[in-house]
Amino acid sequence: MSALQTFLLVVDHDKQEAKQIAERIAQDVESKKTTLIEVVQSLSEYINDEDSILRGKAVSYLTAVIKALPPKFLSRQQIQVLTTFFCDRIEDGGAVAGLETLQKLDRFNKPLAEEVALAVFDRLQELQSRSQSQRFQVYQLLNEMMINHRAALHDMGDESLVGIVNLMTGEKDPRNLMLVFSILKVVMVEWDISNHAEALFDSVYNYFPITFRPPPNDPYGITAQDLKDRLQDCISANSLFAPHAFPSLLDKLDSTSPNVKKDALNALIACVKLYDPNTVSKYSITIWETLKFEILNAQEEFLSELSLQVLSSIAQRLSEGITEISDQLPLAVYLQPITKECNEQIREPQQKQAKPAQQILSSVSAASAASFTIIIQTVVAPLLTIYQEADGIAKQRALLDTLGVLFDSAIRVFGDWASRDAEPTLGNPLLEFKDQFSDIFGQALMGVIKEEVSFRTSALKGFLRLSTLRNYFQDNEIGLFVQYLDEILLKEESVGRDDLKREAIAALTEISKYKSRLILDITFPAFVATLPDSDDGSDSGYISTLESLAQISVEKDVFETLVRRLLSKLSILLQKEEPGSVAYPRAILSTILYVMNQRKLDQDPNLELYYDKIVVGLCRSAAAAASGKATNTILNDATVLDILGRLCNVIVKSLPKSKQEEVARNTLSLFASEDGFQEVTSASSPSDNHRRTMILSTYLAASLPRDLKTEPSCIPDSPTLISNVLTHITTLCISETEPATQLALLRYLALWVNKILEKEHLDIATAIFDGLLPPDVQDPKLSPSQIKTIFWLSKGLVLRLAPKTSQILTTLLNLLSSTDEETSTTAARGFALLLRDDEVLSTANFANIRLLSKQRVFSTLIPLISSRIREVNITGTSSSTTTPTPSHIKPSHLTALSGILSTIPPTLVTPELPTLLPLLLQSLDLQTASSQPIRAATLETLAVIIRDNGVPVIEACGHVQSLVTRLLKTAEHAPASGAVNGSRLRADALKCLFLLAQTPASSSDAPAIAKAGRLSPLLPVKNQVLRALRFVLDDPKRDVRKAAVDARGAWLRGVDDAPDDQDE
Amino acid sequence: MDPAMQNSNPTILNVADLPTRLHPASSRKSGTYRDGILALTLSSLADPTDLALSPYESEESDGDAGLMEEPIDEQEIYDLVSTISDPEHPISLGALAVVSLPDICIRPTLPEVPSSLLRTVTVLITPTITHCSLATVIGLGVRVRLEQSLPPRFRMDVRIKEGTHSTADEVNKQLADKERVAAALENGTLMGVIAKMLETCQ
Repeated sequence: MSALQTFLLVVDHDKQEAKQIAERIAQDVESKKTTLIEVVQSLSEYINDEDSILRGKAVSYLTAVIKALPPKFLSRQQIQVLTTFFCDRIEDGGAVAGLETLQKLDRFNKPLAEEVALAVFDRLQELQSRSQSQRFQVYQLLNEMMINHRAALHDMGDESLVGIVNLMTGEKDPRNLMLVFSILKVVMVEWDISNHAEALFDSVYNYFPITFRPPPNDPYGITAQDLKDRLQDCISANSLFAPHAFPSLLDKLDSTSPNVKKDALNALIACVKLYDPNTVSKYSITIWETLKFEILNAQEEFLSELSLQVLSSIAQRLSEGITEISDQLPLAVYLQPITKECNEQIREPQQKQAKPAQQILSSVSAASAASFTIIIQTVVAPLLTIYQEADGIAKQRALLDTLGVLFDSAIRVFGDWASRDAEPTLGNPLLEFKDQFSDIFGQALMGVIKEEVSFRTSALKGFLRLSTLRNYFQDNEIGLFVQYLDEILLKEESVGRDDLKREAIAALTEISKYKSRLILDITFPAFVATLPDSDDGSDSGYISTLESLAQISVEKDVFETLVRRLLSKLSILLQKEEPGSVAYPRAILSTILYVMNQRKLDQDPNLELYYDKIVVGLCRSAAAAASGKATNTILNDATVLDILGRLCNVIVKSLPKSKQEEVARNTLSLFASEDGFQEVTSASSPSDNHRRTMILSTYLAASLPRDLKTEPSCIPDSPTLISNVLTHITTLCISETEPATQLALLRYLALWVNKILEKEHLDIATAIFDGLLPPDVQDPKLSPSQIKTIFWLSKGLVLRLAPKTSQILTTLLNLLSSTDEETSTTAARGFALLLRDDEVLSTANFANIRLLSKQRVFSTLIPLISSRIREVNITGTSSSTTTPTPSHIKPSHLTALSGILSTIPPTLVTPELPTLLPLLLQSLDLQTASSQPIRAATLETLAVIIRDNGVPVIEACGHVQSLVTRLLKTAEHAPASGAVNGSRLRADALKCLFLLAQTPASSSDAPAIAKAGRLSPLLPVKNQVLRALRFVLDDPKRDVRKAAVDARGAWLRGVDDAPDDQDE
Repeated sequence: MDPAMQNSNPTILNVADLPTRLHPASSRKSGTYRDGILALTLSSLADPTDLALSPYESEESDGDAGLMEEPIDEQEIYDLVSTISDPEHPISLGALAVVSLPDICIRPTLPEVPSSLLRTVTVLITPTITHCSLATVIGLGVRVRLEQSLPPRFRMDVRIKEGTHSTADEVNKQLADKERVAAALENGTLMGVIAKMLETCQ
């Protein structure tokens, strides 16, 4: 059997084998064992066969052989012969592929390309009737020739143009269309289409709008958007299409489908951007007349936005190359009807259509400097006249807003004070109105009664925009504005929500970024002058001044000046014998803290100075005050020390390592050991003032990184010494009576065991923990101070997942079963403390917080709590037990549970819901006043669960009915029944009910089939809820009523009675 | 809905200027520490982990302990209805001045029985133009919103403000007629329109 015969046999079912056969023959041809002529001749037997399939196979044999030959093998003559052969046989399968192979060869030339093209156009009817994949091959061939032999096709002129158009007529397959559109685009852009513009346009426009929707699991991945994009490229390819494109596209805007309108508008934008400006000009007014309606009576926001884009693109195109403004410019002609219409609409600026008119002006004027100039020339003068004649402030305000819109465009066209790019050559037309604007906006801001907040806010915003505008106001003019703002902040009383003051601060902040000189020269002196030397209790106005200063001091120079001024104020205060209220120095420190938090301190050149003055200097002063050597008691005050501590913390964290080591040596001595200051932990019986310095020490200790190399002198390294230190701190913690100092000590303790203690010494901490527990493990009795200390110590250990974490947790839980009610309830509250984010013991302060610590606490404690409560429930009901369980045990466990849940991320909670939900519901059953915190925490947890998961999880546990009933009960205001539900509790319960109905009943990504025909799990309780809520609507508290209205609304809306429309 | 808008260019009030109690959080305390940036740093000293007293209780004490009643007043009614959308425009009835605070009043239903808790809420509606055929729909929307949101002891009286509508009497009759209202609410299309109006309620 010959190779050809084998090929014909296998080609249908084994492509690989067929290819190998062809490759073998190709090798033979190459090694001259056989010749190409022999191969062609061997076909003769089949090539004239009646059966077209057989003929096709025979031709593809030849194609396969050629494909397998090296690219340079065939001579020009051979290529020519083969091309002619394939062209003759083009209707036979495989010929097109053969041609595609041939045209890639270097020796394939222009006349051959022409021959191929003619052959394709000649037989196009035959080719059109082929299957999709064969048509695809034809387009592929054409596309390749466009790439490799475009000149040949181009020289054919109309012949190739008409040929291609005819060939693709009637094509429907999206894959083929993708190719066709890209072939056609080349023709449209590069051919002379003047004789066939309409035919060419129609050939593609027939496909508009594209309504193709890809089948599911489409292997080709062609989307409607791909097709739309290519089609749009074609429509916008040549200005000669304009007479056909613009009218047809504008017609499409009559469509009722927003999607069709969207496609038409997008195509319009593309046409405007790509057609020649003269052509665009010809249609500009027609387009405006049509789009006007789309904008003024917008159906959909996005349609009006696209329409605005069309208008501004036209303005942009028509502005090209304009150096001088005149009425005859196509741009001016285009803008004339637009400004006329807008002028009319904005005469009544409060009416609905003034808004779209503003938008039109905004987008068209921002298109170019020329466009802006023409619009300003026609719009501003009449606006100012209307403003002068306006009969009410509301109307004036709307006019100011309209001007503000134009100012925004000005900024977009001419840039703001930070712009560095080249300015437009045309001058800013607003300059002409500068004085007028300054008057009007100044008058509006300062010359009306103070209560007109929104009017004045508009004026303020307008003024700010003008100040921002590049090369507009001089510095002295902006200075005037700054003075107005100062006056508003310093002299005016607060009105309502203080929007104006907020805006004033925002404006000053903005100005301080670029014109810090103005702030330093005008605002600073004015503000600082109002700061008193001390607070004698008569006026606390300095606080708002300090707040304002803090907010505007973002820029470097301003920041530095502020800190310098405030520090000198503070040092004066510290020298005074009668410094007045500590609130003032505290506010000063807070202000410094605020601005330092806003800036990147580690790059600040003055960091060293701040370290010396604030950390070293003030700590030393605090140490002196603690020893009673200060002129006054400012630095003895816990609140002042607290702020100072935070401030030091922020600074130290930015310091270089060497300085931090210095801090490490001085955390307890507060840089004052030379002055004879004794560390709190080593003093024999420190005074209250002395112990209070622990607040500072704790913040300092917190600020140091964990890996900081420390000397043994400040951190002991022998187990005995460590044990002594820790025991000593623990004792201090327990005996401390002042809450602020105690908290500092507790945090210090936690920091020690969490951050400072080396891993191998952890057993020391565990030993101390054990030592804190009472001898009677079965029935412990502890003071609140002891419990607090135990929990803080545990916190430090648990967060780093110390070896005995589980044991510690179990021990803590045992405290709840104490028969002593105080021990039990106090310990129960302690569980909220364990995992709660603490601002001192935090990752920002380099604490050792393991990612899995929450998980660990949760998974250790929840099963224990759950089984303990079950135990209590059982013994509670059966009275036969030997010892009755005290009544506080169950609430204590529920408190502990709610405390833990409040600190656990919902993702951990959800999987445990079946265990947790019954417990949560039990905690809602508590009705006493003292149980309110538990219930509040429960409701909070429930709210999160419901919001994140919706009803299905509750339904899955089978608790919808019991949950709803309890929520309704908690929402009830019924003092008569003895149940105590605080107003916040009631509102929280209502919020849960709201969320139940609000959250989609089944997750939205579930297939529609699964949703259809399934009733909402809330349906059985709907009537119960609606009835009960009707009475909650009469709650004495307004916030509760509001929550009830929202909840009831959600149930009325969100819970469908029956999906009757789906049954049909 | 009608193909052509009845009033395509109504006057709109600035929402920020409307009277409301809906966002009171920041204005409640007029002291210097309102929401000031220094407030945070000042309050921090209270021990967040004080085990003796949970913060919840202390907060609650100034709220409920006095049991200050906050009766339903005109402002509350206004807040209920002013955020309803107009069926023609995506703009609230408050901004269109269709409802306004002075046109709402609450009175005892039975003034002769002082102990009676029954109250009548009167809401007067001002259509944007005098021949607005949607006035009935708006009235119905207001009515539905109030019925959903007020306790059973309240009676609704929703009417067109005198002299603001050409067929006010007829519309008022429709709005007052319980059976007609009930029948209207059975109408699916109408309820669809009203549900859409109420969607924006805050």
